Amino acid sequence: MRRVGITTTIPAEFIFAAGGVPVDLNNIFIADAAPMGMLERAERGGLPRAVCGWIKGMYGAALAANVESVIAVSDGDCSHTRSLAEILGTEGVKSIPFAYPYDRDYGLLKRQMDKLAAFFGITFADAEAMMRRMDRIRKKLHRIDEMTWRENTVTGFENHLFLVSASDMDGDMERFEQKVDAFMAEAAAREPLPQTIRLAYIGVPPIFTDIYQFLETRGARVIFNEVQRQFTFPFETGDLVERYRRYTYPYDVFSRVRDIEAEISRRGVHGVVHYVQSFCHHQMEDVVFRKHLAGLPLLTVEGDAPGPLDARTRLRIEGFCEMLGSKRRKAAS
Amino acid sequence: MKTLGVDVGSRYVKLAAFDGEELLFAEKLDTIKFYTLCRHAGKVDISRLPVFLEKGFAYERVVSTGYGRYNVRIEGSAVISEIKAHTLGAAYQSGLSDFTLLDLGGQDTKVVRVRGGEVDDFVMNDKCAAGSGRYLENIATILGITPEELAGHTDKPVPLSATCAIFGESEVVGALAEGADIGHICAGANLSVAQRLAPLARRYGSDKYVITGGVACNGGVLEFLGEKLGAELIVPRHPLFNGAIGCALEAAAVNA
Repeated sequence: MRRVGITTTIPAEFIFAAGGVPVDLNNIFIADAAPMGMLERAERGGLPRAVCGWIKGMYGAALAANVESVIAVSDGDCSHTRSLAEILGTEGVKSIPFAYPYDRDYGLLKRQMDKLAAFFGITFADAEAMMRRMDRIRKKLHRIDEMTWRENTVTGFENHLFLVSASDMDGDMERFEQKVDAFMAEAAAREPLPQTIRLAYIGVPPIFTDIYQFLETRGARVIFNEVQRQFTFPFETGDLVERYRRYTYPYDVFSRVRDIEAEISRRGVHGVVHYVQSFCHHQMEDVVFRKHLAGLPLLTVEGDAPGPLDARTRLRIEGFCEMLGSKRRKAAS
Repeated sequence: MKTLGVDVGSRYVKLAAFDGEELLFAEKLDTIKFYTLCRHAGKVDISRLPVFLEKGFAYERVVSTGYGRYNVRIEGSAVISEIKAHTLGAAYQSGLSDFTLLDLGGQDTKVVRVRGGEVDDFVMNDKCAAGSGRYLENIATILGITPEELAGHTDKPVPLSATCAIFGESEVVGALAEGADIGHICAGANLSVAQRLAPLARRYGSDKYVITGGVACNGGVLEFLGEKLGAELIVPRHPLFNGAIGCALEAAAVNA
């Protein structure tokens, strides 16, 4: 079966409809037993130190994951992806560029999808049919998200893990759905988790392996994972193009702000953790989030290489949770 | 009640001993020496320090903070974050309840907006040594002088990078090679630290900044920083012991 690497969320409907296996290279990298090895492989290959750890990790993952081609998001994500695709080309991995048009132009996005259909030798209608199949699973992921913040039976890490997997559905939809079903049944039988500080996690998924767990040891739980939730397309539309137009992450920061604001108020969030990746252009967006989410305390956490939280970041998180706890006690008294 | 505050830093361990609201004494020890003296049977027993015997001081409660807090559990000690410790210490030492705290340590810069004597919000420096106490120490080492000798200079600062500590160091070597005056290079180092700190400090703009940590002892940095911020900079009596003082006060408050 054709294994197709992806560098971020793309319309995986086209790969599945063609009988292929989408492989999110980010997930291959971070879920590896030794992700640092993949990153080092990229540095040995000559990638500069001052390049985002995800890009270097994806380079190592693409070579390790035995993919025949990679759909590289050339617009709407990191511009390093273009160079990554070119370097992978020198290693014999073919890449197909996919561009999210910055102005959300419907026609341009449709053309990008038509190109995917042509590449995989399927029709647009095939992909639309696959979307309806995938939506059945996505609906279950929306339910997991709801169980996280409404019923309080799902941890921030579990929420992250299931929602982030929506990009490639572990490459095997049937098995992924069974895993989702089993998890939902298990979580439904749980007692609600203790009421703690309720946090929003915004920004790209963390390269740290233990941030959710550490937050929970400090009396705080993530009940909203911004970008991971977007990977599940949490909005109603039967139109495949419209679906990828309404997806916030590849476009302007202000649509992300509106999405975050709405979810924060709906979910009763006490504080925001903004994760930024070293050397990533998204770091600049911290300025916008701090302006627009001014009513809520916001902690910016920066990660570089995979692994557990470093002592300094733990210190910041600890101080942040302590501050939120004392604000809540003050408000309650 | 007699309380003890312990701030376990990367270079020094700072102690502050209180009787109620009164500071009895403050001591600093080399961190390595601290471990040598206190580690016993896999635990860190702070009561083994000779200073308590010398001063005839026995504490009833102890609270600690600092980098050591995850690896070192001091016998009988409660642990608070550095942010909280420094805020409590600065509010006590300055007598203020609404201000912006700038704690300038060896590795970390903390900027805390304090309202009603409590942490309202804070930011910290990014993962870089530029603008830190460690950077000033390194520059002093390159120049073959002490950090104290480097501290006073503000005259004709040689332009040095505020972007990267390592590049900053090579620029110092370059400036020396070009025959620049050592005093002017010192002024340049002090200015580059102030340049790095000012934007972070302005996140919580205030008419009063309380400055603590080792860099608060550098008059040159403070002069440049004061010019940039256009605000009153208040250096309390014990800038180095501020975190330890906050811990000792917390020890008393928890018991009250």
